[in-house]
Amino acid sequence: MIKQYKYTIDVAKILAPIVGSRDLMPVLAEAVNKSDTKAVDLDFAKVEFVSRSAAHALLLMKEDLQRRWLNKKFIAFVNASENVQEMFRVVAANRALPKTNELQVKIEKTDINSLAKCSC
Amino acid sequence: METIILSKPQNNTLLAQLVSLYQAFKGREFSQPRNFDVSNVDWFSPLLILPLVAHINCYNSKFIKDENNINHSYLDTINFPYGVDSVSIFEQQVQSHKSYIPISVLKKEKGAERERLESLFSMMVYNTLGSVPGAQNAVYYPITELVTNIFDHSQQDSGFIFGQFYPKKNYLDICIVDCGRGLAKTYEEAKGIKLTDSESIIEVLKGHSTKPSIERGYGVRTSKQVVCDCLGGEFILFSGSAALVADKNGKKIVDLPDFYWQGVVTAYRIPKPTSSIDITPYLE
Repeated sequence: MIKQYKYTIDVAKILAPIVGSRDLMPVLAEAVNKSDTKAVDLDFAKVEFVSRSAAHALLLMKEDLQRRWLNKKFIAFVNASENVQEMFRVVAANRALPKTNELQVKIEKTDINSLAKCSC
Repeated sequence: METIILSKPQNNTLLAQLVSLYQAFKGREFSQPRNFDVSNVDWFSPLLILPLVAHINCYNSKFIKDENNINHSYLDTINFPYGVDSVSIFEQQVQSHKSYIPISVLKKEKGAERERLESLFSMMVYNTLGSVPGAQNAVYYPITELVTNIFDHSQQDSGFIFGQFYPKKNYLDICIVDCGRGLAKTYEEAKGIKLTDSESIIEVLKGHSTKPSIERGYGVRTSKQVVCDCLGGEFILFSGSAALVADKNGKKIVDLPDFYWQGVVTAYRIPKPTSSIDITPYLE
């Protein structure tokens, strides 16, 4: 029987005070899956910074765990600092309204020997 | 084993360090073990030495230094050439050498321990730089984005990171290196697109991820924007036979003829921030 109370995971303890790596999200997902509750709080109180890539992976993980058929988990991000919240907002906004225009990159080309002559 | 004499850079600019590295590796097959002779060099910036560290660790290369040159004791202080790969050793080194940040070797197999080592590294960089509002985000953003790329794309199990703040020059240098498959091969293997090294750098700048999601591909471009446009710094990235050299005034793709770096090297220099910083507008 699923218990109804919330389970809380200290993100800094499971990962680190700076959460940067996308490839480590399975470590966090495993901790979430071990909980015997449907509702899981990811506690960011001791997290100083979340990278853009990690924020994106965290949002995907949240959606995936909630969407699946079995062992659904409802994740809440709690106690996030202002800058961590801001990163989630940037990524979530981009997820909602991704930029679709092709970015034009105008770039001069040269070679190392000519550049070295000018600068060294 | 062939000995490569590393020439002393003409000056302290990132470009001059790149030129010295170019001369060292030019005309040589990348994956052969070498004996790097650094005796002529008396100022070791992260961009100059971290690629050597990576080569020594990945290809069992060796090095020669000048034991009588007082500047070369710096190499011992920063754990050249093998670096540190654990939190406990990093902490011991910081206790012994205070303001010197050890070369860090990030190993995929170490999982969350690797993340904690990267965190310690980044926090120490931030502490040496001093704090103005927003500086923390500005320091952490490019480091985290560029390091996560190693483990997302390079298909290598280790990455190398090193930084040094120069209080008299008032700037911070960071370098991040891998000896993985490199940008062009990543596009080829992940998306089936054949590109030259220059073209693959341009794809990166356009934000075209090698992953299928259009929500990805921001890491390098936005990191460059934070470094150059937000902080007024300089940014260099090279992979294969091409480099990107950028600052707040613009960017150039630079051909590196007869040279090949197997993997990706990113280095940047940021002046010490003196007023509050907001990176948000540069994240897109």
